[in-house]
Amino acid sequence: MKKLRTCLLCCAVAVIVCSGARDIEKKTFSWCGVVHAQDDWRNEFDDVCSRTQDAMIFSPDELRNLIARCDKLKPRVEKLDETQRKVFLKRLQLCRDLFLFVLESKEKK
Amino acid sequence: MHLFNRLFTLFFFLLFSSGAVSAMTIVPPDIYGRVVINNYRSKGIVPVVFDHWLHRAKFTCRLCHIDIGFAMEAGGTKISAATNMKGFHCGACHNGNRVFGGRKTFGSCSDNFTQEEGARCERCHSLGKNVKKEYEFNTFSKRLPSKGLGNGIDWEEAENKGLINPVDFLEDISIKRTPLKMDKDVVIESRGTWMSDVLFSHKKHALWNGCEVCHPEIFPSTKKGTIKYSMLQIAGGEYCGVCHDKVAFPLIDCQRCHTKPVQ
Amino acid sequence: MKRTFYIALLVLVIAGVTSAQTGVKKKRPLPYEYGRVVISNYSEKAGLAPVVFDHWLHRAKFTCRLCHVDIGFAMKAGATGIKASDNMNGYYCGSCHNGKKAFDDKIVFDTCSKAPEAQTRCLRCHSLGKNVKAGYDFSKFTENLPRGRFGNGVDWEHAEVDGLIKPLDFLEGISIKRQSLTVQKDFALGTKLEGMPDIIFSHKKHTVWNGCELCHPEIFVGVKKGTTKYSMTEIFEGKYCGVCHTSVAFPLIDCQRCHTKAVQ
Repeated sequence: MKKLRTCLLCCAVAVIVCSGARDIEKKTFSWCGVVHAQDDWRNEFDDVCSRTQDAMIFSPDELRNLIARCDKLKPRVEKLDETQRKVFLKRLQLCRDLFLFVLESKEKK
Repeated sequence: MHLFNRLFTLFFFLLFSSGAVSAMTIVPPDIYGRVVINNYRSKGIVPVVFDHWLHRAKFTCRLCHIDIGFAMEAGGTKISAATNMKGFHCGACHNGNRVFGGRKTFGSCSDNFTQEEGARCERCHSLGKNVKKEYEFNTFSKRLPSKGLGNGIDWEEAENKGLINPVDFLEDISIKRTPLKMDKDVVIESRGTWMSDVLFSHKKHALWNGCEVCHPEIFPSTKKGTIKYSMLQIAGGEYCGVCHDKVAFPLIDCQRCHTKPVQ
Repeated sequence: MKRTFYIALLVLVIAGVTSAQTGVKKKRPLPYEYGRVVISNYSEKAGLAPVVFDHWLHRAKFTCRLCHVDIGFAMKAGATGIKASDNMNGYYCGSCHNGKKAFDDKIVFDTCSKAPEAQTRCLRCHSLGKNVKAGYDFSKFTENLPRGRFGNGVDWEHAEVDGLIKPLDFLEGISIKRQSLTVQKDFALGTKLEGMPDIIFSHKKHTVWNGCELCHPEIFVGVKKGTTKYSMTEIFEGKYCGVCHTSVAFPLIDCQRCHTKAVQ
């Protein structure tokens, strides 16, 4: 009985840790979340920055959302290795600044 | 200390007058406008002597200095035999094929020539050599109206009278554009109260130079009065001095420019 | 005190006389030299000659946006800070120059490497002052391209319209798949100088090669037309239009290329 309870407790802890790790990328010791996190940022980057071509047709709220997503991406990019960090920080900056630029143009109209 | 001060004063005087001296030097009319190009003297190649007067009569300044791309300073273009052979610079016309006034222009550099053809090199690489030129200055200039110093030719009058007809377009090299109308004359105030102001004719200059020869490299500002320059700088070969002292009429001809009477 | 003053004055005079930036005509680069960028951040430290990059070949094969936005090259020589390690990791030059990618049925040569047998390859880029035979010859390459005034002597715009060049705008693994750009309107830029024709700026033409991010907001910050005031002097200095139109795109000496709208 005691053994079963300990086992169940361990499983519960493991589930909590895993589910938590999926959201908290900073936890490098977690084994379930790490692989996803490495590719996530690239998918997110591609998703956000592919929209620069259509920046002019977005509403101010949509633009603010895109800028917020860029801001969230920045710390993730800063954790990459030297080369990737250099390249993607620049690309992210170009992309974010464009959204901000278009947002300002819409707000000033 | 006293000697030191004296040396300093002397140095400044020399610096100031060096500009003026170069402006005051008078050269014979047939040599005025001579450019000696010796980029490759270290390789044992005789420097090139280019006298402006003949080309000046046949082409506009713009054609050579913009379309073909010659620099406005001796040695500045970095012409090499390779670039000539590729049809750049001198080789744009001097390729043995182009025809002007019914005559074929002699070819320039070549890396595959016979003994007889070798004499062709000396037609340009002639510094210190006694080379007989095809066109003789005195004969050429006799029929042209004379004025002032420099070449002693009134090029403007010569063109008005139709005695010279400078070509402004070169097939395969020039690309014509609609000319910009810039006919207004500009008054350039002189700093000295004793000196008349300069009445600068944009129309006359634009006729031979287009816009690109002067703007933006020589005169970068489009707003009159933004760039301030002095006669010292002009005498030193900047601004007006890029042309006027080496090829166009020299600066010693003060009244040619300082024409607007003092009020 | 007096002596210091004189020395200072002397230095200023000499500096002024020798550093004439305006008032003199500069050497005009030859067509095959126009667009040349010399990069020497780390080359000399590594015992190599600085890198010489001529824009004309890449300009014919790729859009400006691909290199300057997707790959992330800066618009100023040396500002990117490219290292051999970056190239070897498949970024910057190494995005294409990896010995594997193929363009026009040719495998693109690999970039930096530590292997001793690859040392001669270094010279293909690290070529300043060295007599290196380039892979493509300028005159042969541009032979059939429509002639342009100044710069490379090639009318790149026309070349593309005629289908003679087809600049690539997407690189697998690097570029992000996007929708096509909505067409931007052309607009007129007024000139301050009386008599000078206005400029008709074609947004459409510029966005085809640059996308949006290249110019906005880094080069053109003002959102509303007329907010940012700039003059030809600043343009000549390499700002605004001058970022591209002094060193790579057709040079500013071709006034009538932009000043096209007849004065009313």
